Amino acid sequence: MPQATATLTPDRQRLELSALSAPAVIFTVGMIAFPVVYTIWLGFQSFSSTGKQSFVGLANYSKLLSDGEFWHGLWVTIALYVLSLVLQLVLGVWLALVLFHAKRLHGIVRSLFISPFMMPPVVAGMMWLVILDPSLGAANYILQSIGLPPSDWLASPSLVIPTIALVDTWQWTPYVALIVLGGLQSLPPSVYEAAQIDGASPFKTFQRITLPLLLPTIVTATILRSVDLLRFFDIIYITTQGGPGNASNTLNIYGFRVGFEFFNIGYASALMLTLTAIVFGAVLAFNRLRGAVAW
Amino acid sequence: MTDAPTTDRWIRWLNTIQLVIAGIIILTPTAWMVMSSFKPSFEVTAYPPTLIFSPTIQNYIELTRTTPFFNYAINSMIVTVGSTSLGLLFGIPAAFAVSWTRISWPAILTLAARMAPGTLFLLPWYVMFRQVGLIGSYTALILSHAVITLPIVIWVLLPSFDSIPRSVFEAAQVDGCSVTRILWRIAIPLVGSGIAVSAILAFVFSWNYFLFALVLSNGDTKTLIAAAFNFVGEGSTQWGALMAAATLIALPPLLLAMLVQRWLVAGLTLGAVKG
Repeated sequence: MPQATATLTPDRQRLELSALSAPAVIFTVGMIAFPVVYTIWLGFQSFSSTGKQSFVGLANYSKLLSDGEFWHGLWVTIALYVLSLVLQLVLGVWLALVLFHAKRLHGIVRSLFISPFMMPPVVAGMMWLVILDPSLGAANYILQSIGLPPSDWLASPSLVIPTIALVDTWQWTPYVALIVLGGLQSLPPSVYEAAQIDGASPFKTFQRITLPLLLPTIVTATILRSVDLLRFFDIIYITTQGGPGNASNTLNIYGFRVGFEFFNIGYASALMLTLTAIVFGAVLAFNRLRGAVAW
Repeated sequence: MTDAPTTDRWIRWLNTIQLVIAGIIILTPTAWMVMSSFKPSFEVTAYPPTLIFSPTIQNYIELTRTTPFFNYAINSMIVTVGSTSLGLLFGIPAAFAVSWTRISWPAILTLAARMAPGTLFLLPWYVMFRQVGLIGSYTALILSHAVITLPIVIWVLLPSFDSIPRSVFEAAQVDGCSVTRILWRIAIPLVGSGIAVSAILAFVFSWNYFLFALVLSNGDTKTLIAAAFNFVGEGSTQWGALMAAATLIALPPLLLAMLVQRWLVAGLTLGAVKG
């Protein structure tokens, strides 16, 4: 059929395929690539109170190094990140094992388990704000009724980071569990049978067989959570706005406030580029780790 | 010598107990929020907290009376439906082209938005949108939220398109079908359920997204999520109305998620886990 081949030359086909991805590519370049380049440029600028802008070279970055609030924000970001990640991975693996051994998962059970991370983080923040209220909250009532002292939770400078980590852990542990459950379900059953024949205890089986085989899945969960945790924003902004004082002022909250409350766009750009570098660095590092534990 | 079936039953019991404990921890806070929203206002802040009360919709009436809640809800709908449609419009053909050519950089490029902090984009957008007078417009909100929806659509649909046997396309090509025609007539009908899941996930994450609307909306275009920030500020003593607002804001994503819970997991991990 000469006509058909005439309309379907490889060139024509390549052109059509390019045209199909063009809208997405143009949109992404316009909304992401170009703005990021613009942010890099903004990071070399200073904006005076009258709106005048001037090129200041690396001044924003040298300011960063001597800014105590930046180092504090970095510390808060890392503390919140490590604490939340460890809690979510440990509890997530536990929950995945429980779900795995439940054999059949009823739709209602599954719906229940996805409900925390399908609700807006902002709503989770509102909800926990009321539950954790220092004077009238249900959490303190429960503590007191079992004989423990009440806590100031989000209002306490020393407890605000663990408290926010707990709220995020409540919301995202089921997500980690579902990823790990997917990993568990894809493991070959033959390895368990072999362990059973060898008379290995359930704990030994988990430690020596299940956990090493699950490592790639756990690293995947770590990457997905790292990306969100290092840019932690919603729950903090709705509950404490970085407070009390600056106790929960993560880099993302700090950068946002510098940019949109103090309108220091140049310095905020430098802060955000630094945070972005940290996030991408973490993703690349964990990606290499995933290669190392693959089987 | 232990009796194997008895040990088995014990282990199963132990597992069920752990499952129930996990379920209680997961459900209780949400149940508390919904319950508080139906409490009479004097009872919401009662200490010790009450479990038994006569439910009332007083808080919901109060919420709609004292705030333009319906306007915010309509704004949220416009932004969410708009950005989900845009994500599908750009994402479906792009996912198809990436799956066909195996050239993956367009898909990876959109993923950058999933990794970088939102403020990184928000700073230049703010400057750019202000210059063209789009701050506070639906256009700015829909465009910014499409940055969230587009990677979701592309990455959820990629495995769906990949799973169509190549021979199907080749047969159509022999019949003289153009690539675009193959997408419309053959590929899209075959991945219908994938498109539905990607649309629902895009809707949920766009609805839930906080940061962009916080800066790019104004009094007339404010979305529910951005308005929630004001509710918290004003509602320090109005817990009933605050919990009513929280319940209503969480309702659309929760209902949609229940609808497709079975297919959600693979989509949520952006294809990181198969199954």
